Parts: sequence; C-alpha cells; structure tokens
Amino acid sequence: MILSLEQVSIGTREKKIVKNVSLSIREGEWYALVGQSGSGKSLLSQAIGRMLSPNLQMEGKIFFKDKDLLSLAPKEMRGIRGQKLSYIFQDYQGSFTPFRTIGQHFEEYQKAHGNRDSKGRKAKTIEALESVGLDDTLYNRYPFQLSGGQLQRVSIAMSLLLSPDLLIADEITTALDSVSGHRVLELLAKRQKETGCTILFITHDWRHVKRYASRLAVMKEGEIVESGGKHRILDHPQHEYTKRLIQAAPTLGKGLPSGIQEVESV
Amino acid sequence: MTGLSIRLPRAKKHRFQAVTAFVFLVFFSAVFIYTFLYLRHDPTLTDLDRRLLGMSLQHPFGTDQLGRDVMTRLLLGGQQTIGYSLLALIVALLIGVPFGLISGYQRGIVDRVFMRMGDAFLAFPDTIVAIVLSGLLGPGIGNLVLAIVMVKWVSYARLVRSTVLAESQKDYVLIARINGLSPRKIMRKHLLPHVVGHVLVLASLDLGKIILLISAFSYIGLGAQPPMPEWGAMLNEARPYFETRPELMIYPGLAIVSVVLLTNMLGDYFRDRFDVKKEERQ
Repeated sequence: MILSLEQVSIGTREKKIVKNVSLSIREGEWYALVGQSGSGKSLLSQAIGRMLSPNLQMEGKIFFKDKDLLSLAPKEMRGIRGQKLSYIFQDYQGSFTPFRTIGQHFEEYQKAHGNRDSKGRKAKTIEALESVGLDDTLYNRYPFQLSGGQLQRVSIAMSLLLSPDLLIADEITTALDSVSGHRVLELLAKRQKETGCTILFITHDWRHVKRYASRLAVMKEGEIVESGGKHRILDHPQHEYTKRLIQAAPTLGKGLPSGIQEVESV
Repeated sequence: MTGLSIRLPRAKKHRFQAVTAFVFLVFFSAVFIYTFLYLRHDPTLTDLDRRLLGMSLQHPFGTDQLGRDVMTRLLLGGQQTIGYSLLALIVALLIGVPFGLISGYQRGIVDRVFMRMGDAFLAFPDTIVAIVLSGLLGPGIGNLVLAIVMVKWVSYARLVRSTVLAESQKDYVLIARINGLSPRKIMRKHLLPHVVGHVLVLASLDLGKIILLISAFSYIGLGAQPPMPEWGAMLNEARPYFETRPELMIYPGLAIVSVVLLTNMLGDYFRDRFDVKKEERQ
C-alpha cells in the first residue's frame, strides 16, 4: 500500500464535511475518486498533502509509505511535498505564478529539494518539458503566453519532475475541451507507464474512469459509499447512489458500463 | 490628500504632471548646483550684524533674525524634513509589510493576534500619539518619528494583508506549497511582488502626509528643536517677524507646499502606472 487513509474526518468546528473516510491505494495503480461537486473529494485530496486551510480540523490517520503524514514536522512534510507526493490542479491558468517564467518555476522546485547544480537543473527542466511534448522555447515564457492545453501539460511535467511516488490529479480535465482533455490524459497515462508512479485521480467524469482507472471509490456527501475494482463497481454497483450515477452517464453501443462486452448466455 | 490632485482629463493630466515634475526637477537641480558652487554658509552660525538682510548674491533668500543664511537653512531643512519623513515611512514599511505578509499568509490565530494589535494602534489618531509621546519622552524629532511609525505601519500591514489574503487562496500558491517551498520563500518570491505596486502608491501618498505632520509638529515645537533647520521650525521662528519680513515665513511655507504637492503627483502617477482601482477611474 502506498497510501492508506484511516477514518479521516475533516470539518469545521460546527460541521463535518468529510466523514470517516478510509481507503487504500496500491503502488502503481490509477485510483479514481468519483463524486459530484461538493462531495469532499478535493478536500480529501488536499488533506493528504496537509494542505487544508487552517480553519479546518482533521482527525484520523494518513499513512504514506508507512509514515503517518499527520505526525510529521512541517519541515519533513516539505521534503515529501513535490518530491514524493505531487499535485496537478484543475485551474491550469492559476497554477503558475504570473510574474515568473516557466523555467523559474522548475528551477525553484528543484532548488527547494536540494539540487544545487544549475546546469543540471536546466537540463532536467528541458528534459521534463520534452517528455510532455513541449519544446525548450517555453523555458523563458511567462504562463500567460501559453495556451490552456500547453499549461496543463507543463503542470504534468512539473508534477512529475522529481519523479514522485504518488500523483494527485484533481479534476485536471474539467477546464479543457474534450480533445485537449483527452490528450492530457493520454499523456498522463503514458508518463505513468514510463515512471511507474501511482495516480489518485479525482473526477466526476465516468468516461475517464472507464478508460483509465483500475480501482475506484465513490464519494457522496463526505462519505465513501462504495469502493472496489472498476469492473465490479461499474457493472455491478451495490449502492443506490452509484447505480443512479452510472445510469446518468450515457454509454455508446452495447456492452456493460465498464466497457467490456457482455457474454451472451446461450 | 486627493483634494490636492488636479482633476483634468487623463491624457492632459499626464502631460501636466510630466511638465510639473520636470519643472521641479530643473528648479531643484539649479538650486543644488548653486549651493554647491557658491554657498558656503554654516546653517547654525549666528551673526547678529547681518540679521534680517534682504536678497543679495551672497544670501539669495536673505538672512533670518539671527543672521543665518535662509537658503542654506531651507536646503538643509529639506534634508531634515524629507529625510525624517522618509525614515518614518521606511521604518513603517519595514514593520508593516512583513506583518501583513505573515498575517495574510498564515491566517488563523496569527492573523487575529496581529490584526488586533494593529487595531489597538489604529485606535489613536497620529496627532494624539505624537502629543502623548512627546509628553512622556520629551519633545524631539526622534519621538515624533516613533509616533508616526506607530500609527502608519498598521495601514501597510492591512493593505498587504488584504492582497495576500486574496492571492494566497489561488492555486499557484497551493502549487508552490505542494512542491515543497518554505513559507518564507513563498511569501518573498510569490506574494511580495504582488503588493509592491499597491504599497508604492500608498507610500508616495503617505509621504506628503508625513511631511506635513512633521512640519506641523515642529511648528508647534514638538518636533525638531532649534537650532535644527527644519521647515516647520523655521516657520515658527519667523513668526514674530511676519509683519516686517514675511518672506521668512513664505520660503519654508512654499517649500512644504511644493514638496507635498510633488509627492502627491508622484502618488497619482504610481496609481495610474500600477492601475490600482482602475475600474473606478474609468
């Protein structure tokens, strides 16, 4: 298990927003967390990196490679962030500091994790950009000079820069059109194959779950209502809510919701 | 202080500002060159034989009631007035900006403590603080600067805090945090540049206010002490001779007005430049 959450609750003093969530993610898998807006998915994902805003309180345990993240000192946590655990967000426009170039972003993060060799940093940056199909001319560009799809690819390059073990992708295709979104996900899948990192994929789009995920969990109002393998959940949902969600998503052609063909019983 | 800025259409206003700034620049350079080349007066040297003289090449602005050269005192007074105002402003910035940054970035309990502290300072108007301080510690320019700093830092802390509060909610700060940057680095490299423009505008407008405050307090005797050449103090010293030698009051008065006006124009220019409240102006 690379990541396991045990009885995690998040909330303000008055109200719990995420209630007693437990889940575990295996090494190298593409784990999807599905749920409608406001179900607490993003909050949960931020809690993993201890990125919650200070007015929220959290209980429970989060084990990342057998280390309890909640008991780490801030400095140890900073060492994990970016290096072992990284994020990609939905808002690619806002993911970059507007007055710093793409190159400066990459340099800074490498520096923060102890890479003192400036030539090596630049080479690594360009290599990372090339690995997502962008060229090194972007190095000196500012974020606003890039298109949305380019920016999202840069964020993928940035999040995979220090070869993290776990990548949390929070609704990364929501702000892109379907063609660009598809390309970004294909790229992510390709990079996952190359680096072997684990992906926690947060989405409300069943098509992406169907295509990429190996296992998934369904969240509703801060609770996980169902979790398990993709085919088990998509084809044989147990919970009423999951059933309704799957029905609401249109499928093309024959076959089971997960995409496999049903065996005709003769 | 916006009452002093001149309401003209935007383009015309810019030209007007540029021309005024240029004229001031030429004027001051001429004065400075003149002082360096010709004037060699001790600003505190009293010479009762030469008191209250009129204009001459030796004394372009004449001499005062103790025979000191007015132009030398005016120029050195400028150094005092503007220098102490800048000192007060810079110290206020050095306290206010970090407080605002930390407060806005950390939020929670740190923010609440810092801001309540600020409110406590803000509860007293600057004049009251200055009078109380000079009552407790004795009159003097140092105490006046202290009083100004105590009141002014809060407005910078608040300005910076509000900007940082809004900016630090954005994803790029989250990304910077999640990539393992330390809070100090995030504040310095990712948040500080956002507030520079706003702070510069407020600071340049504040400079005029601080100059006025220092001059006013020196005038009533709570700021610069004689024989220090300070514009407000010079105004006060020239008061008994107002009927016979009004120019002794007019020179420092004009100096104060022109410098304050200039700082206001600078503030307006910065505001246009950094587009603060752009919508409001269009």
